[in-house]
Amino acid sequence: MGNYKKNIITAAILVAALAAVFLLFNAVSGGKFLELENLTVVISHIIYPAFTAWGLSFLFACGYTDMSVGGVVVLAAFASNVFGNRYGYPGVVVAGVAVGTLLIFVNFNIFAYTKIPSWIASISLAMIYEAFGFYLKTNNATKSLVTTALSRDYRQLGQLPWSAVLLVVGFAAAYIVYNRTTVGLNIRAIGGNKEVSRAMGVNVNRTLTWVGLISGLFIGAAAVVQISYSGLMTVKTGLTSMSIIFQPLAIVLLAQIMKKRVNIIIAVPICSLIIYSIFNLLTILHVPSGTLQEACLGAFLILFGIIGQRGSKGVVK
Amino acid sequence: MTGDTVLEIRALSKSFGPTPANRLIDFSLARGEIHGLIGENGSGKSTLISQVAGLYSPDSGTMWLNGEPYAPRSPLDANEKRVSMVMQELGVVSSLPVGVNVFLGRTRAFSKFGIVSLKSLNRAAQEQFEKWDLPRADFHALAEGMTVESRKMIELARAMSVDPEILILDEITQSLSYNNRNILYGLLEKFKSMGRSAIVITHDVEELISITDRITVLRDGAVAGVLQSASATADEVKRLMVGREISGEYYRSDTSPSFDGTKPVLSVRSMTVDGKVEDISFDVHQGEILGFCGISDSGIHTVGRAVYGLEKLSSGHVLLEGRQLSSPTQALRSNMAYVPKDRDNDALMMSASVWENFSLPSISELTGKAFFVSPFRLRALAQKMTEKMSVKCRDISQAMTDLSGGNKQKVNLGRWLAKDIKLLILDCPTRGVDVGVKAYIYSLMKEAKAAGMAIILISDELTEVLGMSDRLCVMKDRALKAIIPRGDEFTEHSLIKVMV
Repeated sequence: MGNYKKNIITAAILVAALAAVFLLFNAVSGGKFLELENLTVVISHIIYPAFTAWGLSFLFACGYTDMSVGGVVVLAAFASNVFGNRYGYPGVVVAGVAVGTLLIFVNFNIFAYTKIPSWIASISLAMIYEAFGFYLKTNNATKSLVTTALSRDYRQLGQLPWSAVLLVVGFAAAYIVYNRTTVGLNIRAIGGNKEVSRAMGVNVNRTLTWVGLISGLFIGAAAVVQISYSGLMTVKTGLTSMSIIFQPLAIVLLAQIMKKRVNIIIAVPICSLIIYSIFNLLTILHVPSGTLQEACLGAFLILFGIIGQRGSKGVVK
Repeated sequence: MTGDTVLEIRALSKSFGPTPANRLIDFSLARGEIHGLIGENGSGKSTLISQVAGLYSPDSGTMWLNGEPYAPRSPLDANEKRVSMVMQELGVVSSLPVGVNVFLGRTRAFSKFGIVSLKSLNRAAQEQFEKWDLPRADFHALAEGMTVESRKMIELARAMSVDPEILILDEITQSLSYNNRNILYGLLEKFKSMGRSAIVITHDVEELISITDRITVLRDGAVAGVLQSASATADEVKRLMVGREISGEYYRSDTSPSFDGTKPVLSVRSMTVDGKVEDISFDVHQGEILGFCGISDSGIHTVGRAVYGLEKLSSGHVLLEGRQLSSPTQALRSNMAYVPKDRDNDALMMSASVWENFSLPSISELTGKAFFVSPFRLRALAQKMTEKMSVKCRDISQAMTDLSGGNKQKVNLGRWLAKDIKLLILDCPTRGVDVGVKAYIYSLMKEAKAAGMAIILISDELTEVLGMSDRLCVMKDRALKAIIPRGDEFTEHSLIKVMV
């Protein structure tokens, strides 16, 4: 069977499966799930995790882990908030994306040149970013800047339809970079086998720097979406920023399970939709938010992992 | 020697720390020549060609390519000067499609405005496969899960895609089955007829003599001799390699099966693994070496994996002394062992130490009271086996990655021989090892056979299965076509008649 035909069949099965799941959700929720208002809520909520998950996909593709992403999102959102209130939309976008990109870029240079295992280095970086965020929030000179919500005049990027437009643009950019550019292929090559890549002339350190830039752009964009949606970002110390990436992390795990059949960049928004839909359904069913909902998500991930791994080995690293 | 000199090497030396790997090597490669390079494991062959391919820089000495000084800074630089290499252990990137693997590091050539055209890239990859008559491949598919053989073909296409003037092949024939070896020989012939040159490393002396024009023999990092292949003999090559006269025959000398046929240790009945092997039935007896041979995709390697429980049977069963087995855990507990073909990826823990690798299969036997495992007992076992198998290592704490291919294989095999094994499955046990280690492995097999161990020997080398087996199972199209007992019909010719 040709690849084109295979792709069409996979897409058809996927759409049919999603439709079936949503119809089931609708039936279970007494018709509330597919109400237009509820669907709007669901779509609004998948933008931030999708952008963060794309950023994480690039990170994981090259075989690195960054536990400081939550801390980066907090600082980028602070920047977006402060500069947005001062300069309007240019401030919201440029400051958020610039800080996100800069910090992830710094992280990757640290990973590439210090050779410290990335998960260890990134936990240390997460603590630094959280502490800095907390300092900004408590320091008299900056407190009022970061605790004042982003003006409602500049929050369209967190609302439909602009957030959906952003999602489409982000998807196109992620897809092309990941699948159709030399740097994207080199990133995947390094994650697959660093030694082969090096022997084939791939400049590993330069590619890692590119990962920092690309991933940073997506994480920065995620911070812009998040601050535009919520208006305010809170910060605590004690590695609590890691909880910000819990959902995106679940999305990437789910996307990795689907990777054998669906390109991971395509799988990310689909998984984002699936995961938020589950949370949404549980909320409609009055399941207490927090621990019980997250336990349900964990169980769902395990179940999906078992189904996804049938007949093959090592679906998720 | 034919034509003028394309590559000239003078007084090349290279050391790794205090260990000299190459000492004042002189070497020349003529245009249109296939030049063989042979030596024991650790003799400096890979180091020499790695310098030609730009992986290492020499400490001293000079290289000239077409009369110009040649000092490649990287493999990519060597590629640009039309020198390419297929390495013994390198491999492909599993997470990338086959087409991208062929042009990895050079994908920019297919990009326009920064976007890579996968269509043109795959078309170019296909052209390479067609030009060199390589087996068909799905260029969109990920390399993940492909066999060692298919991966080697991708690497070969990758090397050919730089349109090399010099092609270097580092022990790749031992990864290939009969038909793909023939494809490679055809490729070399075609390459030579185009006036191009190749350096071929293989441990198969007979093969080297038959496919090359000249042979350079290395010993202890220096050139031990250069021979014209047309007049060289296998014994002469072996003598130069090891520095002493060694027997020309390391296989069995008897001409009939010798085992107790009344006691089957293993019985396999109607074994089928969907899409891989169909309806396979055979017995292996105490003291028997049962060989398996066939061309690529004939299913011989799946038989080993399925018997050990690594492949799920869709029908049939495997009985060890009457007890049905279905998983590696059961197989191991029933004293069955399996040595896979892909030593580095499927068998050994490469970043662990020699002692950890030696002791792993014996941990349950060495576990004491209250589940306590004494590290002293584990290390003592490893020390004993290191000495018994003559593993060349600094000490048993040395990491496996630092060992040569032959020594890795000694650990791989020796850890099973430390146990009381009833049935041993060996899949290409001499892949990537030199004649000395090869002879040693065969002597261990003969000892194990004499002690009553049943052995399944799966191999891509016909001479090996012919030389060592009591009976030989010939497979074709995933089915068992014939079981030939050692005797008059035990010839390459009769096997090929069934295989092809």
